[in-house]
Amino acid sequence: MTIDNSMQISFELNGSMRRARVEPHERLIDLLRDVLGETGTKEGCGEGECGACTVLVEGRAVNSCLFPAPEVEGLRVVTIEGLCGEGLQLSPVQAAFLEGGATQCGFCTPGMVVSTVALLGENPAPSASDIRNALTGNLCRCTGYVQIVEAIQSAAAKLSAGGEA
Amino acid sequence: MATTPSPQDKVAWEPRDEMTVLNKDARRLDGPVKVTGRAVYPHDVRLPNMVYARLLVHPAPRSKLTRVDVEPARQVPGVVYAEVLKSGGEEVLYQGDDAVLAVVAAETPEAAEDGVRAVVVELEELWPPMVTPEQALADDSPKITENGNVVVAGTRGDQAEVEATLGRCDAVVEASYSLPVQHHACLETHGCVVDFDGEKATTYPSTQMVTGSTGMFARELGISRSDVRVLTPYMGGGFGAKFGIGKEGAVASEVAKALMRPVHLMLTRPQEFLMAGNRSGSKQVMKGGATKDGVFQALYVEADKHGGMGRGSLPTPPYIYDVASNASTIRQVHTATDANRAMRAPGHPQASFAMESMVDELSYAIGMDPVEFRKKNLSSEVYHRQLDRVAKEIGWAEHEHRTEPGKVDGNVRVGIGFGVSTWGSGGRPGCKCEVRIEADGSIRSSVGTQDLGTGSRTYVASIVAEEFGLELSQVEARIGDSDLPPSVGSGGSVTTGSLAPAVKDAAHNARVALCDKVAPVLECDPDELTWQGGKVYPTGEPDRALTWKEACATVGSDPLVAMGEFQPHLHQGRVHGAQAAKISVDTLTGEIKVLKMVTIQDQGIPLIRSALRSQINGGMVQALSYGLLEQRVHDADLGYMLTANLEDYKIAGVQEIPEMVAIIDDDDTRQTVCGMAEATCIPGHAAIANALYNACGVRIRDLPLSADRVVTELAKRI
Repeated sequence: MTIDNSMQISFELNGSMRRARVEPHERLIDLLRDVLGETGTKEGCGEGECGACTVLVEGRAVNSCLFPAPEVEGLRVVTIEGLCGEGLQLSPVQAAFLEGGATQCGFCTPGMVVSTVALLGENPAPSASDIRNALTGNLCRCTGYVQIVEAIQSAAAKLSAGGEA
Repeated sequence: MATTPSPQDKVAWEPRDEMTVLNKDARRLDGPVKVTGRAVYPHDVRLPNMVYARLLVHPAPRSKLTRVDVEPARQVPGVVYAEVLKSGGEEVLYQGDDAVLAVVAAETPEAAEDGVRAVVVELEELWPPMVTPEQALADDSPKITENGNVVVAGTRGDQAEVEATLGRCDAVVEASYSLPVQHHACLETHGCVVDFDGEKATTYPSTQMVTGSTGMFARELGISRSDVRVLTPYMGGGFGAKFGIGKEGAVASEVAKALMRPVHLMLTRPQEFLMAGNRSGSKQVMKGGATKDGVFQALYVEADKHGGMGRGSLPTPPYIYDVASNASTIRQVHTATDANRAMRAPGHPQASFAMESMVDELSYAIGMDPVEFRKKNLSSEVYHRQLDRVAKEIGWAEHEHRTEPGKVDGNVRVGIGFGVSTWGSGGRPGCKCEVRIEADGSIRSSVGTQDLGTGSRTYVASIVAEEFGLELSQVEARIGDSDLPPSVGSGGSVTTGSLAPAVKDAAHNARVALCDKVAPVLECDPDELTWQGGKVYPTGEPDRALTWKEACATVGSDPLVAMGEFQPHLHQGRVHGAQAAKISVDTLTGEIKVLKMVTIQDQGIPLIRSALRSQINGGMVQALSYGLLEQRVHDADLGYMLTANLEDYKIAGVQEIPEMVAIIDDDDTRQTVCGMAEATCIPGHAAIANALYNACGVRIRDLPLSADRVVTELAKRI
C-alpha cells in the first residue's frame, strides 16, 4: 500500500508566489532545482558542508540541501536567480564578484553570492573577521578565496555608500 | 595594439608594452552568467522526458557477491529502469568503480535513490581488505593486481657510489617522508546527461575534454564519433580528474540506449570520493648529504607510490635540485582502492614535500641559510631571482633566526619556510580556431575547448580583440561544443600553450584577409594598415580611419572566415615558481596558523593578469589545504573509507586563508605563452612544513601537519 503524505505548500520565491506539492522529507534544493527549475542553486555535497546550495529564507542564509521543503510554507525564499534587478541588472554583490574576478569554475559562486547578501543584509559594514565567519560554510576549490573576500569588501563599501545588497 | 607589423609576416605575439587587451586584468566573459546562476552546468541540464539515474556503489573494497537483486527496486513508484551491473558469483576486486553493482533510473532523483536503497545485496567481504600499504606489503597478503602488489617502476644510479659520496659529506640526513592520498574535491561531482535517439547523441558531461569525449560516448553507444555532440559550456572544476567519461558515463549511455530517454547521472559526493580518482599518496625514504660549502652532494631515495589500483605519480629524484651523485628506486605499492588519476601537477607536490624537506634539513644541518642553500643547488638563475623575490616579500632578511630554529618555550613562535616548483606545460598540436567576421561588425572566435575556470573562454576572445585593436567585449567567444573546431583536453597546463597559439594564428589570418578587403577602400597597401582603438587606418594617417563597422562592411554578404592552428613557435614550455610561507605555531598546543604565503610564477606572456593571480592564489591554497588538512582515511580492519564526504575530508575554507601575495614574474621576458596553474600547488605545503621547523625546531615528515603530530614532537623538545 502506498500512503500519500504529500502536502500542498505556497511560498514566495524570488518575489512571486509559488505553489507546490511536496513530500514531508523533500529537500528544499530538490524542490527548487527539480520541480521549479531554478538550477542556479547548486548541490556540491548534500550534507551542508560546501554551501553551494545556499539560499535565503526570510533573509537568512540556509543550506537548501538540509532544509525541508515543507518548512518554507508561507515564507519568503530568494535564490541566486532572484537577486538581479529588472533586465538582469546585477545586484551590487553580483557586480562586485564580476568586477573583482571572484569566479573561476563558478560552481560555488551562487552560494558565495547568496551568503554575502545575507551578511550584508545584517551587517552592511563587515570587518574582515565578519566576512570570514559569514563565508565559513562556503567552500571554493579554485580561487583561494582572495578575490572573493576582496569582492565582498568592495560590495560592502558600495553598500555603505547607499544601495541594497 | 599601436602598430601593425606586415600581415605577411610570420605570426608573432605583439610586444607586451604595446598590448591593450592582453597582459591586463580582464573581466571574465563568463562572469555575468556565473554570478547570476544562469550558467548551466551538466549538473543543471534538464531535458524533456529526462530520467534520473543513480548508482549503487558498495563501499567495501573486496567482496564475493552472492546476490544482487534489483527486482525490489523495480517495484518502487517512479522507477523505470533497474539493472544489475555486477551479479552474484562475481567478485569486487577493489573499492571504487569495480564496486558499482547496480543502476536505477526513475522519473525523479528521489525515486531513483529509493530504488537504489531497495536493491538487495548479499556478499561476503574478503579479509584483509587491502586498503593500506602495510597490508599490501605483508608477506602473506593476497595479490591485488596480476603483477602483484609491488611493482618496481624505475631504478637509476649507483647506490654504492652514492653511499661513498655520502661518506665524504659533512652532514648526512636520513629521513622518511609520507603524504596521504588527496582528493580533487571538485565542487561539481563527476557525471553527465546523455540524450540518445538511437542514431545520434547529444551529451553533457562534466569534462576537461570536450572534443575527445565524443569518441568515448560513441564507443559506449555503438555509433560513429561524428554522431556524438558534446556540450559542456560550463563545468564545476576538474583538476585532472575529469578526462574520461568514467564508469558513470558508460552506465548513463547504457541506460539511455535501453530507455531512449535522456539520462541524468551525477555521482553523489561519497561516490565521488570512492570512485572518481585521487592524487596518489607516497612514502619516500631518503638519505641525503651536503658539504659545508653548501653543495648538496648525494641523495639516495627509496620511494613508494600509493596509487591504489593505479600506478601512482612521482617524478624521478632529485627532482628540481642538482645533486651530482644520486640513485633511486621507485615502486608502485597497490591497494584495493580506486586508481589515482592525474591531479594538478601529478607527483610533484609529493616529490616537492620530500625534497624541500630534505633540502631544508641539510641546510640547517650545515648551518647555512636555507634560501642560499637552495640557490647554491639550483642551476637555473630563474630560481635565484624568484627565491630572492619571495624572501624579500615574506620578510626573510628581517627574520630573527634564519640558520637555526626558534625555541620551544610555551609561547607562540613564528617561522618562515621556502620551496620551488617546476612544470613542463608547453603546447601540442590539436587545436584549431575559427574567427568569423560579419559585415555588421560582429566578430566571433570559436573552438571546442573547455574552461575549467582558468579563463580560457576569455582569452579565446581577448587574443582576437588584441589583434584588431578592439575592446574585449566586442568579440564573442564560443567554446564547450564538440561541433566547433577541435581542441586538446585541458590537463597538464597544456591548454594555454596549445590553444592560445591556434587562436592567435586564426586572428592573424583573419586580419590578413580583412586587410586585403580594407586596403582598396583606404587606397593603401594591405601591409600598411594599423588597427587601433576600434579603427583601422593607413599607418601614420589616423585621420583617414575607418571605424571597425565600416571596415567590416567590406566583408560583403558572406562572412569572412579564417582558421588557425597550433603554431609551435608561439609557445614555450617549462615554468618556474618559488613560494614562501610564514606561520605561527603555539608551542603549547601545536596549533599552526599560516600568516602569509607568497608565490612568484613565470609563464611567458601573461594573457589575463587577474586570472593568473586567481590561479596562483588557488594553487597556494590547495597546497596549504594538503599540508594542514587533507587526508583520506580508511578503516584498516573493515576497509571502509572513513572520509568519503566533505565533513570528514576537510579542505581549506576561508578561515584558513592567510595574507596571500601572488606575483606574476614579469622578469620572464619570453615572448611566448604557456600554462602555469599546475606549478602553483607544488611547494606550498613543503614551505609550511619548513616554516614550522624554522619556528620551533619541529620537523614533521608526514602530512598533514596536524596539531597532534606537532604537539607530540614539541614534547620531545621540551
